[in-house]
Amino acid sequence: MAEHDLTALMARHMDCHLVFPLLEFLQEQQLHADEEILEAKIRLLGGTNMVDYAMDIHKSLHATEDVPEDMVKRRTEVVSRLRALEEAAAPIVSFLQSPQLVQELKPDKQYNIHMLQERFQIGPDQIEALYQYAKFQFDCGNYSGAADYLYQYRALCTNSEKSLSALWGKLAAEILMQNWDVALEELNRLKEIIDSKNFSSPLNQLQNRIWLMHWSLFIFFNHENGRNGIIDLFFQDRYMNAIQTNAPHLLRYLATAVVVNKRRRNMLNELIRVIQQEQHDYKDPITEFLECLYVNYDFDGAQQKLMECEQVILNDPFLGKRIVEGNFITVPLRDEFLENARLFIFETYCRIHRCIDIG
Amino acid sequence: MASRFWGQGDSDSEEEEQEIESEAGSESEDEGGDAGGRAGHNPYLVTNASDSDESDSGQRVVRSLKDKRNEELKITVDQMRNAMKINDWVNLQESFEKLNKQLEKVVRVNESTTLPNMYIMALVLLEDFLAEALANKEAKKKMSSSKARALNAMKQKLTKNNKQYENLIQECREHPERFEDDDVEDKDVEDEDEDEDSDGDIEDPDKIAVSGSEEEGDDDEEGDQDGGAWEKKLSKKDKLMDKQFLKDPSEITWDIVDKKLKEIVASRGKKGIGRIERVEQLTFLTRVAKTPAQKLEILFHVISAQFDVNPSLLGHMPINVWKKCVNNMLLVLDILQQYPNIEVDTSVEPDEKETQKGADYDGKIHVTGDLVAFLERLDSEFFKSLQCTDPYTKDYVQRLRDEPLFLVVAQNVQEYLERAGNLKSAAKIALRRVELVYYKPQEVYYAMRKLADQAEECGEVEDAEAGEEHQVADDNRGPPPFVVIPEAVPRKPTFPESSRGLMDLLMSLIYKYGDERTKARAMLCDIYNHAISDEFSVARDLLLMSHLQDGVQLMDISSQILFNRVMAQLGLGAFRAGLIIEAHGCLSELYATGRVKELLAQGVQQSRYHEKTPEQERLERRRQMPYHMHINLELLEATHLISAMLIEVPNMAANSYDRRKSMNRTFRRLLEISERQTFVGPPENVRDHVMAATRALSKGDYEKAFDVINSLEIWKLLRNKEHVLQMLKLKIKEEALRTYLFSYSSCYESLSLGQLTTMFDLSEQQAHSIVSKMMMHDELHASWDQPTKCIIFHNVDQTRLQGLLFQMADKLSVLVESNERAYEAKTGGTLEGAPPRRRGDGQDSSNMGRWQENFVSSQGRQGGGRSGYSGRGGGSGRGGGYQRDRAGQGSRGGYGGSRFQDGRDRFQDGRSRTQSGSMTRGDGGARMVSLNRAGRG
Repeated sequence: MAEHDLTALMARHMDCHLVFPLLEFLQEQQLHADEEILEAKIRLLGGTNMVDYAMDIHKSLHATEDVPEDMVKRRTEVVSRLRALEEAAAPIVSFLQSPQLVQELKPDKQYNIHMLQERFQIGPDQIEALYQYAKFQFDCGNYSGAADYLYQYRALCTNSEKSLSALWGKLAAEILMQNWDVALEELNRLKEIIDSKNFSSPLNQLQNRIWLMHWSLFIFFNHENGRNGIIDLFFQDRYMNAIQTNAPHLLRYLATAVVVNKRRRNMLNELIRVIQQEQHDYKDPITEFLECLYVNYDFDGAQQKLMECEQVILNDPFLGKRIVEGNFITVPLRDEFLENARLFIFETYCRIHRCIDIG
Repeated sequence: MASRFWGQGDSDSEEEEQEIESEAGSESEDEGGDAGGRAGHNPYLVTNASDSDESDSGQRVVRSLKDKRNEELKITVDQMRNAMKINDWVNLQESFEKLNKQLEKVVRVNESTTLPNMYIMALVLLEDFLAEALANKEAKKKMSSSKARALNAMKQKLTKNNKQYENLIQECREHPERFEDDDVEDKDVEDEDEDEDSDGDIEDPDKIAVSGSEEEGDDDEEGDQDGGAWEKKLSKKDKLMDKQFLKDPSEITWDIVDKKLKEIVASRGKKGIGRIERVEQLTFLTRVAKTPAQKLEILFHVISAQFDVNPSLLGHMPINVWKKCVNNMLLVLDILQQYPNIEVDTSVEPDEKETQKGADYDGKIHVTGDLVAFLERLDSEFFKSLQCTDPYTKDYVQRLRDEPLFLVVAQNVQEYLERAGNLKSAAKIALRRVELVYYKPQEVYYAMRKLADQAEECGEVEDAEAGEEHQVADDNRGPPPFVVIPEAVPRKPTFPESSRGLMDLLMSLIYKYGDERTKARAMLCDIYNHAISDEFSVARDLLLMSHLQDGVQLMDISSQILFNRVMAQLGLGAFRAGLIIEAHGCLSELYATGRVKELLAQGVQQSRYHEKTPEQERLERRRQMPYHMHINLELLEATHLISAMLIEVPNMAANSYDRRKSMNRTFRRLLEISERQTFVGPPENVRDHVMAATRALSKGDYEKAFDVINSLEIWKLLRNKEHVLQMLKLKIKEEALRTYLFSYSSCYESLSLGQLTTMFDLSEQQAHSIVSKMMMHDELHASWDQPTKCIIFHNVDQTRLQGLLFQMADKLSVLVESNERAYEAKTGGTLEGAPPRRRGDGQDSSNMGRWQENFVSSQGRQGGGRSGYSGRGGGSGRGGGYQRDRAGQGSRGGYGGSRFQDGRDRFQDGRSRTQSGSMTRGDGGARMVSLNRAGRG
């Protein structure tokens, strides 16, 4: 089933930290060799500051207690840099940590900046330091801290570009902390900014949309209203264009969401049109299933694809989420998908048959 | 010595003419003399011959066959001369042909390979005369039509003919005396020649210039030499100055050269200055330039002077000038490579003495010039020369072989610009390169690569020769150039492995730095290239993503043509990939106007209704694509018609009542025309073939349809012919099956799948899939009987009356809707409860529409399909219910006109009841069945 694994494709559009959950899942699935995954993790950690974690993995990968030189060196670097940043951001952090002082902040940004400058000698440099500090916290894996700082940074920052990346950081942090409601809010906020006209270049905008869609998968497949959310978001013209241009593999998630969602069946036609357009670029059992059923009316083929679909769902980090109830492990999405898909087949079959031999 | 030469050079043509006119006899003498001389005879025979000539008039003398032939030749030449005098082109043309015929004989009897001098003289004469005539535009206009025709014919013939004897003609022009004076021994002449040459390098620059310009003049048919000699006389003083230059090379200073340059440049466009001569003078100056910068500056002037050689917009630059121009460009690049501190730009105004700075100057030196403009001009001249050349001649092929030459320059210029950081201009150059490559399929690209390699080899040989010649010429012409530039830039284009690779390389540069137009054109070229390399989906995505089709109306005409070409190739690509609907979509628009040739710029189409002004025609001619870039029109037409057929035939069968719903009007019209014919002959052209196939297909006879299509010649143009035909066969089978079911389903109660598969030679799965699709989309009123694998037809065909009534109902519902909308607009539509009402209506009418569709099964797959999912999804299966209902009832179609009447009355008389009114109307929609049944029977 490894050929239907999209992790490599998806990872390109995600933050390093967001890839960890995917790799964890893959490790559980045993689709790839353990060593490969651990190797990948170490490389991934190279981009972050979670040196301790990297060391642990290194130990388990090579079954030794020795840690390579550069990792140790890296660690000291990280620690010293943390100190420096902490120092730089200290004034504003201490300001933010006292609730009375924070209450003095008003919704007016200009006023706040002015006030900070006047009364606490906190200038743009300190605010900037806050951002760096938050970023560093995030890199170290301290997501909740990062989320807090970023929230406050956004309240104070005037640079729209920085503010945008702070928002991305906040979204990532919320996703990693699994605060789905908050994350969804952040997602919508980010979407508004991306869709606003004054975005730099169309290419940049496209890239941002694609990131947004990838990141949103975490939220949509975990939030209770996510299945509507994904359909609403992905079927918007701009986002659909983005999918078709650069990330047709997202069609898998969209297709699954449409099949599972009984209420949104009217989107099926639209979906099938897109799938057909993109079939030269991307196909997997799920899209092929829909194609068999609604384009070719090949019922045997559809049955066969359905079997493959099950495997794909089980091995997909987003779709194959497991829920443990007592002793049973269920994959709710798989069950729903199969049920609905069978219903589709049967409905269609009955429509064109006058007489069926059920035996 | 110079003056002596001049004396001769001046009166060259005039004298010649006079001489020839007066002493007609001597013609044969020198002819004979030459022949004799060459063959090793002595003057004795010559005088002898002349004797016989003189005495010829009176008595009959037995002469040798040779003499007789020569005599004939002479007479013809005389005739020609007479004809020239009275400007009688018709006669001249005849004589010329005669002359050529006689020539063969003469050569045969003379038993030598050399040509009679008389003949060459005649050619020279003719050429001069022709050039004169052509140059005299006024006179040309006044000419009678037959004369003008003859003149044109002559022009062509002569050009072709003279090509063969180029060398001799040249010789004749240079040394007319050799062709005239019979008593000068050849040997002597040669000696003298050598003398002259050896002297010439110091003393006689004029001669070289003259001979050089004569050389040029020969190939230039534009008639620049009309007053060649005259001009030369005028410029004699200049020449003498040149001589001054040459006498003591060490004394030449930058100032002298600069002054001279300015003088020449200022002479541009003045009367009496030959264009070619200017080039020549400037070229000469490049050799005496003192500094590299100066040399560069002069070279720029040379290049622009070379572009000036061809004055008209229609004609193209003479090919040899073009080649020289290419060499000059390379020279420029060499200099730039050699001296990186020299900068070429147009923005900076260089100060007066800028170019005085020598090679060892280490600051920046600015030289004014625009490499991009030069290169673009070079490209368009190349393009034009291809446009003007007859594609069926060897010349065309020869010309095409020059393409790598241009690519070298372009590549080098681009590299230079990239080095210089002028990426915008580099992108422009890249586009020019792209435009030479994009239309080449991989095979052609390989051929070009190979040619470039080979060209290098034989080019080397030629170069060696030319080089030697050059060397010799150099030695002869004057001192070695002051600034010696080694060949620094490569003279050979480098091509990546595949055309795709090259395209990608250039594309990324263009996308990064090009301006809007450059990018758009590059994008189109890219799409074209993808389309011809069978990557339809990539090409389509590129096109859709770029949104070029939205703005194409606003682009310039040549880009629009390019866009049309892209669409045509996309259509062909889609067809090869078996995507019939896409192919049809791409091509139908191209054919809708019936002006394909014009749209693709592949020939001028005569339109019956409005005459074009000559102005328009000329413009159009200028836009024409050169032949090697053409898209085969027959293939295109076949592709278009076949895809139209595959779509239209089942569509016609399905909507036999409603002839308006046609997908492709062009196809329909053609079909109507062919149906009107009383007798149908065997198909001849593409159109006939497709029409014959259509007739077969509409009866469901797939075999015959395919055979007819298969017999088309054009398929051999396809790369993967087998594959395409296979695909086509399958498509034809499928559509035949559909057509058959549409047309004849009413004749069946049931039909087994097995029978269908044998009838149409399809696999069971395919047939099942097609039939299911038709059922799903309500195109076929039937259902499967799974245990027996049969199609059971529901007998629900409507009568004509019913069909019409449904149409009427359709229209009425539209009427009601618009009426309502009008009412709402008037009252403001803000009444309470209006929104839900409206919604109810919307559903209502859409339901209605759907039912109509179900029955009339009008709009094919799309519309029906949609209704299918949503309708059935709800689980109510209303359509089905309706059908059942219908089956039960006898007559129907009495669709409530009055019902609508009340409906309308109701909401007209009171908006207060809207809510309830809408409810009833909503119900009415749902209850339409029962209303029908109530049936006004």
